[in-house]
Amino acid sequence: MSGLTLTSVTKVFGSTTAVDRLDLSIGANEFVSILGPSGCGKTTLLRMLAGLEQPDSGEISIAGKVVNDLPPSRRDIAMVFQTYALYPHMTVAGNIEYPLRKRGLSKAARKEKLKQAAELLQLGELLLRKPRELSGGQQQRVALGRAMVRDPQIFLLDEPLSNLDAKLRAHMRAELIQLQRRIGRTMVYVTHDQLEAMTMSNRIAVIRNGRLQQFAPPQEVYDKPANEFVAGFIGTPPMNFIDGVLAADGSFKHGELRLDLGALQLTQGFQPAADGTPVRLGVRPESLCFDDDGQNARVTVIEPVGHELIVMFDYFGVELTARVAPNCGWSVDDEVRLRPVIDQLHIFDPDDGRRLNAD
Amino acid sequence: MHYIPRWLRRGLFNLFAWTVILLIVLPLVWMITTSIKPQSELFLIPPAFFPEEVTFEHYRRLLTETPFLTYLRNSVILAGGTTVLVIVVATLGAHSLVRFSYPGRETIAGAVLFTYLLPSVVLVIPLYFLMAALGLVNSLFSLVIAYTSFALPFALWLLRSFMSAIPPDLEAAAMVDGASRFRAFIDVILPQAAPGIISTALFTAILAWNEYLFALVLINSDASRPLTTGVMNMLVTSFNIEWSLLMAASVMMSVPLLVVFVFLQKYLTRGFGAGAVKG
Repeated sequence: MSGLTLTSVTKVFGSTTAVDRLDLSIGANEFVSILGPSGCGKTTLLRMLAGLEQPDSGEISIAGKVVNDLPPSRRDIAMVFQTYALYPHMTVAGNIEYPLRKRGLSKAARKEKLKQAAELLQLGELLLRKPRELSGGQQQRVALGRAMVRDPQIFLLDEPLSNLDAKLRAHMRAELIQLQRRIGRTMVYVTHDQLEAMTMSNRIAVIRNGRLQQFAPPQEVYDKPANEFVAGFIGTPPMNFIDGVLAADGSFKHGELRLDLGALQLTQGFQPAADGTPVRLGVRPESLCFDDDGQNARVTVIEPVGHELIVMFDYFGVELTARVAPNCGWSVDDEVRLRPVIDQLHIFDPDDGRRLNAD
Repeated sequence: MHYIPRWLRRGLFNLFAWTVILLIVLPLVWMITTSIKPQSELFLIPPAFFPEEVTFEHYRRLLTETPFLTYLRNSVILAGGTTVLVIVVATLGAHSLVRFSYPGRETIAGAVLFTYLLPSVVLVIPLYFLMAALGLVNSLFSLVIAYTSFALPFALWLLRSFMSAIPPDLEAAAMVDGASRFRAFIDVILPQAAPGIISTALFTAILAWNEYLFALVLINSDASRPLTTGVMNMLVTSFNIEWSLLMAASVMMSVPLLVVFVFLQKYLTRGFGAGAVKG
């Protein structure tokens, strides 16, 4: 068992609370992404797991043992840094062997492990080069190799792909997934890139302002976002929001717009008032359909992205974004009939942002 | 505007540059030639730029008949001791100022710099009384302390800027890889800061080697005089100033610094090229 548990962990820098009473329980051999916008505290969280920062309160345990007071060198973890942090004065081989040297492995044992890592990451010809002679992708692989050689229980990865170009990033993403499946270790992956989080993780922890918003498998985060922030953060293009009033009979009003949301199950404990309660309606760009049952909307912007069009509409004074097949034949200022698909809509509390759907 | 041909511009530039270089070099050349002229040629009018007869007599006398070698030994101990002490304290101190956050960190850094702003004349008298009270007057150790007190601020600030250019992730990586904080400092920070450490060491050594005022005030015995005051002492005490001997001493004083500088300059430029890998 080499899971990772955080209990009410808090870290304050001066007047900003980087991590705020965070609870998280990560299972053994799980791939978990910590996802959030820049400055949300995710890197601080990772550094606390590594032991590079001390939490101000709360408990961090690895494999059931509290490690708050253990220095980084005595937690069984490895970390890949966003900047790779390769030692510039050592060769590739020197870099990869460094953690083994620190653990007092014999020269023969180090050679063997180095060979294995070099094979796995295809670093064979690079072993005698210095880090500055390597490309970004190669440096990235060396950083992974240095983390892997000593076979730690837990890998911490801090935006390891963010310095690579788009093509290499897609390639390394696939390689990382394969690697994790092969060596079967717990990985905690910090990123602000929702695509990385969605494609690689078993579960995603969405963080905002140091607080955990949702911790669930990728599809669940997408289909049942815990709140408005998660709903708006995950998905490209982002979810549309329409402020309005929901009445007890299930009718939603926004200006001239009327929608019958009677088919939606609402969470227990939320009962719209007879004359209506303010809510915020969330509509994914793919939850809009275009047929004669819809109501008039005017095309305002068309952005071709190749396999589809991102089209913006003026719909009862609200700007809506939709994904449309490229052969639709529309142009700006065309009037089309547009209809939100009721059972795919999300309802949020406009005050605290929590999702009010029953599922 | 008149067009100046490229060859002329270059020619003028070279002429100017060489004039400046000659102006700087001339006293040095005069020092060297004087040191190898026989006494009889010293005051010739018109002066002979190149000696007619080359003699190393003055060097022989310098090394055998004067306390020059004692002074030299003292200077080497002084420069070496000061450099080692300053580098050890400044490297650790700069690392602390860059990496740790504690109350008053900036105040400490500023206060340290403030002592550097004071002219040494202001410090020398209080330091003398202090050393006298501690019974350290006339010892090389007192000079090492004194030199450290005014070389340290500059060294600290120089190294601080070198240290802050080292990515903090390197140290963090070493600690995650299994090193203690101190071990990470040795394994990762020191090699990265080496160019900075070498140039700081060079600066400190030159400062200690050339210092005059403190040596004059704090040292009164011939046994612990360094070269600067020692050679001046030779000049002041003789009734008949032996210029050739003095020039020979000056040449001998400059040689170690020149050797060190030529050797380390190569190291410096090589070191500066080896920056850390940036993402």
